[in-house]
Amino acid sequence: MVSLHRTIRNIRRVGLREWWRQMQYIGDAKSGVLVGTDQFGNRYFENMNGEEEIPGRQRWVDYAQHEYHASQVPPEWHSWIHHIRKDPPTHDPVVKNLTPPWQTPWVENLTGTRGAFKTYNTVAPKINAWEPKTISRGA
Amino acid sequence: MSFVRQALQAGVHSRSLLIPASTRPSLYSIALRSAIAQSRLIHSSRTTCAQHDHHHDEQHTESLHSDMKLLHGRYPKTPLYADLNSNANIEKFKTGERAIDKAVHLFFLTEIMRGMWIVIENFFRPPYTIMYPFEKGPLSPRFRGEHALRRYPSGEERCIACKLCEAICPAQAITIESEARMDGSRRTTKYDIDMTKCIYCGFCQEACPVDAIVETQNQEFSTETREELLYNKEKLLANGDRAEAEIAANLHADHVYR
Repeated sequence: MVSLHRTIRNIRRVGLREWWRQMQYIGDAKSGVLVGTDQFGNRYFENMNGEEEIPGRQRWVDYAQHEYHASQVPPEWHSWIHHIRKDPPTHDPVVKNLTPPWQTPWVENLTGTRGAFKTYNTVAPKINAWEPKTISRGA
Repeated sequence: MSFVRQALQAGVHSRSLLIPASTRPSLYSIALRSAIAQSRLIHSSRTTCAQHDHHHDEQHTESLHSDMKLLHGRYPKTPLYADLNSNANIEKFKTGERAIDKAVHLFFLTEIMRGMWIVIENFFRPPYTIMYPFEKGPLSPRFRGEHALRRYPSGEERCIACKLCEAICPAQAITIESEARMDGSRRTTKYDIDMTKCIYCGFCQEACPVDAIVETQNQEFSTETREELLYNKEKLLANGDRAEAEIAANLHADHVYR
C-alpha cells in the first residue's frame, strides 16, 4: 500500500511492538509526536512533516478500546483531530477558558446497545382517558 | 494534407458549390445537413473544438493532447449550428490534425498507452486515502452536524421559547411548546427536533437570538433505528452539556464574522 522505505523508517522509529499494534488498527506504519491522551486513554499523534505525511493524515488517534468507533473521541479532541483547532485542547487557551464547570462527561454513540437514546414526551399529555369519579351513596 | 482529406474537402466543396444552383429549399437543407454530418463523423471533437476556439484566440498549434486536456476550457463559445451565409463548415477542414496522424494514433493505441502510463505513475505514488476513523479530514468551525441546546455559563438554559427556529425551519422539523416557569420566565417544555426531517441548513442557529440552538461538529451520531433520531429537549440539552467547550470555541473562532 505504501512505500517500503516509509514502512521501514516508521518501524525503526516506533518499534516492533507499536508497529504491530498499528497494523492491527490503523493498518499503516506511522510515526509522530504523542500530542496527548484524553480521559478515555485514546492517544493522539501528530506528524507535521510534509515529506512524511500527506495533508489530511498528519493527525491520528490510537483508540484505547478494541471496539473502536469514531464517536469515542471527546469533543475537545474531536475539534483538534478534525483540524478545526490548531492547538490540542491541553494547550489551547480558548478551549480551556470556555470549558464550564458543569460540563458533563462525553458518552460515545450508544446505538445498538441498551444505552441507546429512546425518545419520550417532555410535556404532560393533553388528552387523558376518562377517569370516572363516583360519589359514594352513603349507605 | 493527406490524400483522404483532399478528397473529402473536394467532395464538400463540390457539394456546397452545387447548393446555390438548386432553388429547392428541401434539397438545400438536406445537402447542408449531410455536409455537417460528414464533418462531425469523420472529425473527432478535437477538430470542431479547435475550429471554434480558433475564432477567438490564437491558432491551435499544439501537437498532441489527451481529450480531457483538450476539452478543458475549450468548449466552443458559439453553438454548433450551421451558418448558411459563410463557409464556416468548410473552413473546419482546413486546420487540425492530419488524417495520417489520426490513423497512427488510432492504430498504435497511443491514447490508451498514455492513459495507462498515468495509472502506472499513480500506482507508485503514496495514496491519498485518509484512514477514517483514525484520521479525519478537515472540518470548518461552521460545520453543521448534530444539534445541541446550550446553556449560559451560569448553567441556566439559553432557550427562551421565541420559536424563531421553529418558524424558519424549512423542513418543519422543530416542535416547541412553552410555559411560564415558577419564577415567571418563559421556557420551553417541549423542544423536539426530528433529525430524520432535518436538512442541516443551519437556519435555526442563525435565527436564534440567544445562541441557544446550535449545530455541533459531531457527525457521528448515526443510529440503528429511526426512533433514536427523534430528539427531545433532554437529549439536546445533554448534547450541549457534553460539547459546550467545543461549541463555545467554535463560536469564539467565528465571532468576528458574525
